[in-house]
Amino acid sequence: MEVIQKYDEDELVLLLQRQDQHAFSYLYDNYAPALNGVIFRLVEDKALSEDILQEAFVKIWNNFSSYDPAKGRLFTWMMNLTRNLTIDALRSKGYKKQSKISGDENSVNNLTDAGTGIDKFDAMGIRKQLGNLKPDQQKVIDLAYFGGFTQEEISKEIGIPLGTVKTRMRTAILELRKMLKYT
Amino acid sequence: MEIQDIISSGLLELYAAGIASESETRQVEEWVTLYPEVATELKEIMIGIESYATANAMVPSPDVKEKIFARINTKESGKVIPIQSAADNEFQQIGNYPYWKMVAAASILLLIGSIALNIFTYNKFSNADQNLLALRETFDSIQGKNLEMEADMTVVHSKYSMPVSLKGLEAAPDAAAKIFWMQNTGEVFIDPSNLPDAPAGKQYQLWAIVDGKPVDAGMILTSKKGDKYRIQKMKTFGKAEAFAVTLEPEKGNPTPQGPMFVMGKM
Repeated sequence: MEVIQKYDEDELVLLLQRQDQHAFSYLYDNYAPALNGVIFRLVEDKALSEDILQEAFVKIWNNFSSYDPAKGRLFTWMMNLTRNLTIDALRSKGYKKQSKISGDENSVNNLTDAGTGIDKFDAMGIRKQLGNLKPDQQKVIDLAYFGGFTQEEISKEIGIPLGTVKTRMRTAILELRKMLKYT
Repeated sequence: MEIQDIISSGLLELYAAGIASESETRQVEEWVTLYPEVATELKEIMIGIESYATANAMVPSPDVKEKIFARINTKESGKVIPIQSAADNEFQQIGNYPYWKMVAAASILLLIGSIALNIFTYNKFSNADQNLLALRETFDSIQGKNLEMEADMTVVHSKYSMPVSLKGLEAAPDAAAKIFWMQNTGEVFIDPSNLPDAPAGKQYQLWAIVDGKPVDAGMILTSKKGDKYRIQKMKTFGKAEAFAVTLEPEKGNPTPQGPMFVMGKM
């Protein structure tokens, strides 16, 4: 991800609110791979995930005015928008999320496998560190983040009480943050 | 709820991961506005998750970006433009004009520019054309005069031409004229430049004195402006003793009857 011009997030948001296409290009270059990775983990189809990625960025451009920096980071907003779009696409295509939920331990492991596509992009060495996450920690993040699962679904999937999803999520993300510090 | 409790509740993580329920979302958003520490913590969490997503990134095909930009550039409407200051709106709208409108606007500007240039060029051309016509007229008249002059000079320069000065007589002591007699051909030319203007109804007549008698040598043109000063060809004589000019009625007389103005001997 080489960029000629660098924006900090505040500048980027300001420019995007003014519909600046250079800023949008920068946004794409910097975030499209991460968002594409998220979509791919959900749809497991390269062509389909790129179609959804395209929809997502058009929507990001058109609806940028609805992003409120006070409510969270830009990436988080884009991420949620993208994930919702992906889930909608899956539903409209007749995909059944149920099938994934009802799957055994392996189906979840598939989500966390190093598998397709990920090797193409080894970002900042974080990827190597991810292996240090405990499987149950990684699973909860994956289900929430890459699976589009609700708290209830995660609770059912891993077989932990609803209240525990919160704490599990917290420890997982704390672990993640710790790793980032030492990367 | 203490700030530390909020941070350790795990709700911020759910919120950041986008799986908080509606009531939880409202709760977190309220905390964030109330406590800066919570806002900072949430930001850290989000960065953590962001890095996780980045680590799982997958570079899309290059044409995806092209398709996206093609779509946002052809899309005419359907986007929500936030109401901001008028200046901001203007700025956005310029950025959002569809391609064909830009092209149309540019074409019209070009057309106007082209028409203006044409008018300007045409005016310049007309002026130049008029100047050229005026110059040509001047040139033609100068060239005409030049040709006449050359003809005159041929007479004067000819090695056969014998000049005869006609001196003023009683009727007009200041008058004078010149005769050029061609020895080889007998042609006679007169330069009447120094004759006074002939009065209306009268005309000068040239006489050749041959064997003591005046013979009509032709009428001298003075009526037409310009002609008076030109050397003119008269009748031809094989020999003559003298030449004289008298003032006669127009068309002349067979024998001189009017006053004699100038005369000169060969």
